[in-house]
Amino acid sequence: MSEEMKADLDLDLKGLLCPMPMVKVSQNIASVPVGGTIRAVATDPGSMADIPAWAKSTGNEVISAEKVDGEFVFMVKRLK
Amino acid sequence: METFLYITAVYGVYLGIGVFVIGMAWRTYQWATTPKSPVRLGMFPKPKTGAARVLKMLKDTLIAPQSARIEPLMWAFAFAFHVAALGAFVGHGRLIHEFTPLVNWLGEDGMATFAAWSGGTAGILMLAAVVFWIARRTFGPFKQLSVPEDYLLLALLFGVIIMGDHMRFVGTIHAATYREWFQSLLVFKPEIPDDILRSTTGWSLGAHMLFTDLFLIYFPFSKLVHAIGAFSANLVRSE
Amino acid sequence: METQQMTTLAGVLDKKMNRQLKQYLDICARCAICKDACHQYVATQDFKYLPARRAELIRQIYKKYFTKTGEFVPALYEARDPDENLLDELYESAYACTGCRRCMYYCPFSIDTAWILSVAKAILIAAGKGNEMLGQLADAALFKSDNFEMFKDVIVDGFKDIELQVKELTGDPDAEIPVDKQGADILYVALAGAHSILPAAVIFHEAKASWTLSYFEAANYGYFFGDAVKARQIADRFMDEAKRLGVKEVVITECGHAYRVAEIFHEAWSGEKHSFKVRHILEVIDEYITDGRITVRPDAITEPVTYHDPCQVGRNGGIFEQPRNIVCALASDFRDMTPNREQQWCCGGGGGLVAISEMDEFRLKSGTIKAEQIKATGARIIASPCENCRLQMEGLNDSMELGIEVKAIMDLVLEAMPLAGSSAKVTPTD
Ligand code: HEM
Ligand code: SF4
Ligand code: SF4
Repeated sequence: MSEEMKADLDLDLKGLLCPMPMVKVSQNIASVPVGGTIRAVATDPGSMADIPAWAKSTGNEVISAEKVDGEFVFMVKRLK
Repeated sequence: METFLYITAVYGVYLGIGVFVIGMAWRTYQWATTPKSPVRLGMFPKPKTGAARVLKMLKDTLIAPQSARIEPLMWAFAFAFHVAALGAFVGHGRLIHEFTPLVNWLGEDGMATFAAWSGGTAGILMLAAVVFWIARRTFGPFKQLSVPEDYLLLALLFGVIIMGDHMRFVGTIHAATYREWFQSLLVFKPEIPDDILRSTTGWSLGAHMLFTDLFLIYFPFSKLVHAIGAFSANLVRSE
Repeated sequence: METQQMTTLAGVLDKKMNRQLKQYLDICARCAICKDACHQYVATQDFKYLPARRAELIRQIYKKYFTKTGEFVPALYEARDPDENLLDELYESAYACTGCRRCMYYCPFSIDTAWILSVAKAILIAAGKGNEMLGQLADAALFKSDNFEMFKDVIVDGFKDIELQVKELTGDPDAEIPVDKQGADILYVALAGAHSILPAAVIFHEAKASWTLSYFEAANYGYFFGDAVKARQIADRFMDEAKRLGVKEVVITECGHAYRVAEIFHEAWSGEKHSFKVRHILEVIDEYITDGRITVRPDAITEPVTYHDPCQVGRNGGIFEQPRNIVCALASDFRDMTPNREQQWCCGGGGGLVAISEMDEFRLKSGTIKAEQIKATGARIIASPCENCRLQMEGLNDSMELGIEVKAIMDLVLEAMPLAGSSAKVTPTD
């Protein structure tokens, strides 16, 4: 599903170690409009828990989090 | 001059010493009754035993080897100042009682020469350090960091030292005469010897004491409470 | 700003007051001996980074609100209200500090400027001016434990992936990453990332250790943020786990601040003695090598290697020799930096700075001294335990073209261990 949706921002977080993927998403969220999305691709499995936890605690939304060929693909929506 | 001397060299001394002693005691009491942080703030490597801790604390406080490594010039002046100040303090003990064993050993003349040399050296070293500190605080980051308190203390110190040096190098009054005055203070029957009242050096004594009184009064409210705090703060370093 | 609010902010200082802090605030001679101890001041020559100046901002509030002299003659001490201007200055001075405590090492009174700045952060947080990113990271960590059921499966799935690699590397199909194992000797607390789990899992497996992996990461952004309550709660997550599982010791991964929080702060914060030991993973690995429980090839690395003491592991954590022992056991050309150990220069990456993007440029600049130190050794590999240090040194490597490789100690050990499984070099990050 994430393949079809066009994100406002693509983030390549491959190779970054936790918690850096979460940090990068957080740093970049302000650069998309409210309601906009970030598509982030990470390789560290820790991000599967970190990014959703960050989104919940900051009041944003992870639309999808999937494992694709050993990579972790997130669609994050800015809610506020 | 008599009134001036009674204010600075009699009542001022009582006031100064009183405020100093009570103030320092109060400050120490405040520290002692403030609960310690439960978190250990020490840094490594730490001495293993209690005795080693105390030794390290004394070394860090009295010699400050780390400070010597990072800023040798500043350390040299600070060290010289503190040692000289300690020397001068001990030297002033002559006002209370002549150092009789020393006199027996050196003879009257020998004692006078020794006092002139040791007191003179201490006076010069302290003056040099204070001038250095004032100079250091007049530029760059040192100036930015300094607050009026720093200059006030240095100015008072400068006054104390320059007038002390004046009495030492220019004045003509002997230690025995000053002792007469100081001992009269100790027994609470203050009296200023005629020798002092008649000499122009009396003004120097008055000024020396004026600065000293102010210095003592301000001491417990200033950063100089490091005279006590340095020991406990350095002990925290290895807890 | 309202007087009422400023009084409240000054009240935070009162709440945080203790003997050490009071002495620090009373005795500083403003001699500025600390100025050349701070890598940030030395690299920028910017007054706001001079250690005593940072503390002076708190002293100004203290003088005004808690001393009679400062109340009546504020000008004498430049005593001030905690107004917007002061808070803005405080923000820059406090959140830039890496907490390396090098200034404390050189101060004639051993004044712990970083400790004073932890109070500064508490005041900033009370004013709603805490660093946003660090606050978010702390909240995310707590959210994970507060809603644990929501994350448990994902976390365990992640561990399973790593477990496959452990099996492959060790050549042992039964090798596992035990989780939630009652009665294990060791609770190993890693970071969220695989890179801190995989090598440790292999090492524990080879040493036949009885261990279990914590669900939670050791990293503690509550500590960097400056909120002692959150910092404690973040550490509670695995400390409670340790209690529940009845382990003998909690072993913290290489990460520096996490070790210090666990070993030095947590007992004081919780007011409770731990029923277990807390050790750093490198203490454990050093012991395994000495006792022959694992072996490393002595010539595994022939290129020159140097070691960076992370401030929270060395000066502030007391671990100086074990990492050097380990590196020396597997490298033939070890070169120490000058100065080293307790005098080590901070690399500039501590204090959570690597997570604050506004500080990137400043952070790299503050690492100039470290870069020069590294260059002077002529080493090709720099080994260092702390995650933040490594991120910083990788940044320096790029920006200053040092041409070095930055390595975790555990990764070096993994490479140097003769393993039965696939000999292919596995780096979890590729
Ligand atoms: C024993 C441990 C002590 C240490 C480590 C120590 C250290 C220092 C340092 C580093 C300075 C900085 C000077 C500057 O930059 O202005 C200083 C100043 C000074 N100290 Fe101490 N001190 C100690 C004890 C004392 C004692 C016992 C006295 C008591 C008479 C004293 C009196 C002073 C004075 C008068 C100054 C100059 C003040 C100024 O700079 O404004 N100190 N001390
Ligand atoms: S070295 Fe210590 S006493 Fe001197 S200015 Fe720095 S913090 Fe204050
Ligand atoms: S703790 Fe380190 S970064 Fe902070 S002021 Fe001191 S020397 Fe500078």
